[in-house]
Amino acid sequence: MKLYDYILSPSCYKIRLMASLLGVPLTLRPVDFHPGEEHLTPEFLALNPAGTLPILADGGLLLTETSAMLVHLATSAGPDWLARHDPQAAASEQQWLSFAHRLTASLGGARLCDMFQRPGDLASLQRQGIMALRELEVRLFEQRLRQQAFLASDRPTIADIACFPHVVLAPDGGISLDPYPSIRLWQRSIRGLPGFIEMPGIYRRHELSEEPDPDAANETAEQV
Amino acid sequence: MLSADLPPMTVVPALMPQGPFALWRSESGILSLQADRCPHRGMRLSHGFVRGEALSCIYHGWRYAQNGRCLKIPAHPRLEPPEAIRVETYAVTESGGLIWGCLETPAGAPPNFDGFAPLRMMSVKVSPQMIATSDEVDRRADGALAIELAGQHCLFLARAQPDGSTLLFCLIEEAAAPEARIAVSRALELFRCRLEADDLQKEAL
Repeated sequence: MKLYDYILSPSCYKIRLMASLLGVPLTLRPVDFHPGEEHLTPEFLALNPAGTLPILADGGLLLTETSAMLVHLATSAGPDWLARHDPQAAASEQQWLSFAHRLTASLGGARLCDMFQRPGDLASLQRQGIMALRELEVRLFEQRLRQQAFLASDRPTIADIACFPHVVLAPDGGISLDPYPSIRLWQRSIRGLPGFIEMPGIYRRHELSEEPDPDAANETAEQV
Repeated sequence: MLSADLPPMTVVPALMPQGPFALWRSESGILSLQADRCPHRGMRLSHGFVRGEALSCIYHGWRYAQNGRCLKIPAHPRLEPPEAIRVETYAVTESGGLIWGCLETPAGAPPNFDGFAPLRMMSVKVSPQMIATSDEVDRRADGALAIELAGQHCLFLARAQPDGSTLLFCLIEEAAAPEARIAVSRALELFRCRLEADDLQKEAL
């Protein structure tokens, strides 16, 4: 599978993260989104007329919507990541996949304004972002009361991966995550999953790995 | 901060009236409240991580003990960090499911709210005064605000934030069933909407 990718894009990271959690190798084709705007060149608009990233190519299949990419990855390599075991969880998963687009528009929009100097009404995007975070917080609080650490179920699904990146990077758009304890605990559960990978601004849980041994590091350095 | 929101081996920004502080719980369960600023490069320690009984900064891994003393500088593994490198450390205690911090010498034990247990904390973009003077609440002798939400008796503790907003802690009767907790939590969202809408209206006048 080939991913047209931009390292600083939370949407591209969704797909890299999902693939890593599933153990699916991806061929990355880096795209100069900023400042080059390579995604708007005729070559790219031919692949994706919407001019968005990421783009996922798998044989004859060409996908430009992240929800579809998550479904495709999970269906091919990890059906456990789909909430198909019960009708309520399945519907909830769809609800959060759609909700993720609101996060992209609000939190992602604020981040594009604040960090990439793209045009937009930052104050209005931040207000919408806070509304979305409050909605997420209250639902995650209810999930905790049901002893469920994830959005649609007691185990992680593609819905969690769809919502996770834009939420964690909200501070890049000037939106604080400090007052949301249930969102913090949910993030922590995702960041501790086996196969979790980082992107700039989203780091793993260092306390889960062994402390690096300075002597071992020195030996390696000497060998080099 | 609610005890339930801070499991062992986590650090969070505690939103005090004076600003954010790094609040963390060690692997063995001990709480610490410290300045949210690494003395090395000023990174927020609440972005760091807790391994065992120490807090590490996410930036260069400088590690601090519960008493604030710097234990280790990974870039200089054989150096014993000088005594002078320390983060400010404050009094913190836990009672009735709530964590109480104090930046000065505590005047006494934290208050007790018998029969109530904390449900949620949330930030509200209005002043504590506006919440205390809302028609929906009654101030009790102990300073807590009594309110009925979704047919349940609840208590509010309101703490001012540096930006003029409020951190609101909602307590619910201990015996409340999970369904009642969900109903109160949703009613709390609506209460916040009403307060913030009223506040916008006042501003417009």
